[in-house]
Amino acid sequence: MNASSVVIAAQRVARWRSAPLPWLLLAALAALPLLSPSPNFVRLLFTTFLWVTTSMAWNLVGGFAGQVSFGFAVFYGMGAYTTALLMNTGVDPVPAFAASALSAALVSLVVGVPAFRLRGPYFAIATIGISEAVRVVMTNLSFTGGASGYRIVEHRPFHQLEHYYSALLLAALAFVISALIAHAKFGLGLQAIRQDEDAAADLGVNPYPYKLAVHALAAALTGVAGGVFARYAAFIHPAGVFGFHTSVHILLMPVIGGIGTVWGPVLGGFVFGIVEEEIVASFPQVHLLIYGSLLILIILFEPGGILGGLGKLFRRFRGRR
Amino acid sequence: MEDADPILEVDKVTRYFGGLAAVKDVSFKVRQGQIFGFMGPNGAGKTTLFSMIAGALKPSSGKIRSRGRDITGAPAFKLIKLGIARTHQIVRPFREMTVLENVQVAVHFGKQAVTGRAAARERAIEALGYAGIDQLANYPAAILSVGHQKRLEIARALATDPDLLLSDEICGGLTHAETSEMLALLRRIRDSGTTVMYVEHDVKAITSVCDRIMVLNYGRKLAEGTPDEIQNDPAVIEAYLGTRARGRS
Ligand SMILES: Nc1ncnc2c1ncn2[C@@H]1O[C@H](COP(=O)(O)OP(=O)(O)OP(=O)(O)O)[C@@H](O)[C@H]1O
Ligand SMILES: [Mg+2]
Repeated sequence: MNASSVVIAAQRVARWRSAPLPWLLLAALAALPLLSPSPNFVRLLFTTFLWVTTSMAWNLVGGFAGQVSFGFAVFYGMGAYTTALLMNTGVDPVPAFAASALSAALVSLVVGVPAFRLRGPYFAIATIGISEAVRVVMTNLSFTGGASGYRIVEHRPFHQLEHYYSALLLAALAFVISALIAHAKFGLGLQAIRQDEDAAADLGVNPYPYKLAVHALAAALTGVAGGVFARYAAFIHPAGVFGFHTSVHILLMPVIGGIGTVWGPVLGGFVFGIVEEEIVASFPQVHLLIYGSLLILIILFEPGGILGGLGKLFRRFRGRR
Repeated sequence: MEDADPILEVDKVTRYFGGLAAVKDVSFKVRQGQIFGFMGPNGAGKTTLFSMIAGALKPSSGKIRSRGRDITGAPAFKLIKLGIARTHQIVRPFREMTVLENVQVAVHFGKQAVTGRAAARERAIEALGYAGIDQLANYPAAILSVGHQKRLEIARALATDPDLLLSDEICGGLTHAETSEMLALLRRIRDSGTTVMYVEHDVKAITSVCDRIMVLNYGRKLAEGTPDEIQNDPAVIEAYLGTRARGRS
């Protein structure tokens, strides 16, 4: 059994399930507030939807196109600060989110334009460099309060459910985008690039603009997630939204769930979103170490993530009969 | 009669790898509607020549033109749009995709740049049928036999809708029956209007199917002519057929 057959099996499982499942899930999550859940539970789901969104966004670049990024915090942070700054000048949330998408996409080009010209690990390395650089700049930028952070004052009453539905809508949008892309021309082109860039070029795929485009798209989604978060939190600071741990979280989720698939990052995002706070609370000093070890274990033993493992089980079960 | 703008014109093309000239001062013209064959011992430079024509490698010097247009050093993804496609001697399927998806990529990004998914699938199935592997459409490409993967190479290249197809050793490792099927396929491709360039070691195969043949040796052009002329060329017999015969004993 090799890795590719596992991925294919996982894709089969995913495709087989994918018809009514997303709609049921969306309906259930949309109806959930009817059960009057505790505000704390709503908050947990709100954060989870944002994680799921960034997880799917990362997967577009890292999973479909095979371009591993350690710098998605840059987009999350850009989105957060863009929304924060605009809302404090009186801009409405939705246009502010759109501006977040735009600013994050623009930043993605700063990384992508030089790094995607090169083959090999340059992109991954560049993402680390730029994300540290941006964090340092933001830590020292006075008009956003530097390291001490930035407060958002919204002159409207706070409705938790409004935030809940914004995040759910965003996650649904990310899902639709990723599901539509997966089997369309764009997605096939990306997957061809991941699997054999030269062979892809030999069939007419121009890898460079494709990588730039998918990177910008992922950045835009991540930027909006940052914006939605900023509005909810009403306070952001560089060590949080721009922190390296944010990048690690965003990369870890799709890996946990199963990269390169539509459902894997959703699964990974939910699992992570629900246990993350517990882990940080229980292991405040070493939680990044735990994530790092988890990452290594998955890559070594189950590169297909949860979905890959399920696919294996599914086939073993079928094989028995 | 000279063709004013041949589909391919290679003019004193040279490619160095370090100090080694893998291809040295090679010139030739391919006319539309031919099957143009390339022979030569291992390491003669056939694949290197194909890679330069198809845009995977840049020549160190020389010019390559197609229908009068300079395409020297143009990248592969642009040449596909001009109707030049290649297969790989060492097969390179997208292993995590199905056979059908492999070909869909070629339809989507080929000369016609088909966008719609349904249309792309339809064309892809057509190309698979043409290459004789449509029954394998939904299998993962990774599990195909080498023979089938070679057919997949052809199906993908054809699905880009080429005017010039460069096929590199598509019969290597095939049985006798499979080889004759492949050759019949090449003829069909030519008869449908696609010019074919064909590298093969099997002398019988290449002389039976080609309209014209060029022999390479140590990166240089040794001879060019009809299959008959090539088979009776003393230099070819000495350098290629001769060493092959000796190598066998
Ligand atoms: N990427 C490369 N780097 C260095 N040397 C190379 C490279 N590609 C080919 N060569 C060398 O160039 C020469 C020509 O190789 P090429 O693959 O073109 O020969 P060929 O005629 O296709 O041989 P075969 O019949 O074995 O396929 C060989 O000496 C080979 O070792
Ligand atoms: Mg070769």
